[in-house]
Amino acid sequence: MEEVIHFHHILINQHADSWEDAIRQAAAPLIKSEAIKEAYVDSMINSVKTLGPYIVIMPHFALAHAAPSDAVKRSEISIATFVEDVIFHSDNDPVKVVMCLACKDKTSHMKQLSLIAEKLMKEEIIEQICACQSVQALYELLNQ
Amino acid sequence: MKVPKIQTVCGFGCGSSLMLRMNIEAIAKKAGVAIEAFCGDVGTCLSNQCDVIFISKELAERIEDRASVPVVVIGNFMNKAEVEEKTLAYFETLK
Repeated sequence: MEEVIHFHHILINQHADSWEDAIRQAAAPLIKSEAIKEAYVDSMINSVKTLGPYIVIMPHFALAHAAPSDAVKRSEISIATFVEDVIFHSDNDPVKVVMCLACKDKTSHMKQLSLIAEKLMKEEIIEQICACQSVQALYELLNQ
Repeated sequence: MKVPKIQTVCGFGCGSSLMLRMNIEAIAKKAGVAIEAFCGDVGTCLSNQCDVIFISKELAERIEDRASVPVVVIGNFMNKAEVEEKTLAYFETLK
């Protein structure tokens, strides 16, 4: 089994007041594990403010990311699921799953992201992600 | 048919555009069509030489008026059916 997302980068059943809050929460494990600095979280939020909610790339799923920068120490991915709907003002609202992609440069995360992409293309994957009621269950779903 | 140069675009050229690129490459492979695909960011994509731009709906509005190549708008980057339909429709225009 190739690990796509670390166990401690997964959060389930979070509660967010706003889309900004949802991104902050989803990114928190990356700060804790020192993959990114707070500035990268601000960049991810600012990019939605400037460019719009295009990060909601499929129904109920947002891929938060920003330009590669010094605020990223390691290219890593985190994921969080939310109990309540998170509104990004996108056609793909409401968002239930937020993934944060920290990229140190434009290529080092390609392998990891391609493995994630394969999983996201499966039918009903978002429903399966949301149905996970333990970090262990979601870890197994994403890494199997 | 010459090999089309396809640019997939997101905000920074490293996240969702990469996913879309991988999706399109898989479709082209399945269809037996040779393509050259690369990622771009919305700020500079119009100055990159390419034959077509694949982009999300929100970002398309920023470049559609100024693009000199066809712009294909994708609503759901991970929806195989949508990306496949639009990619194959683009291939048809090349024949």
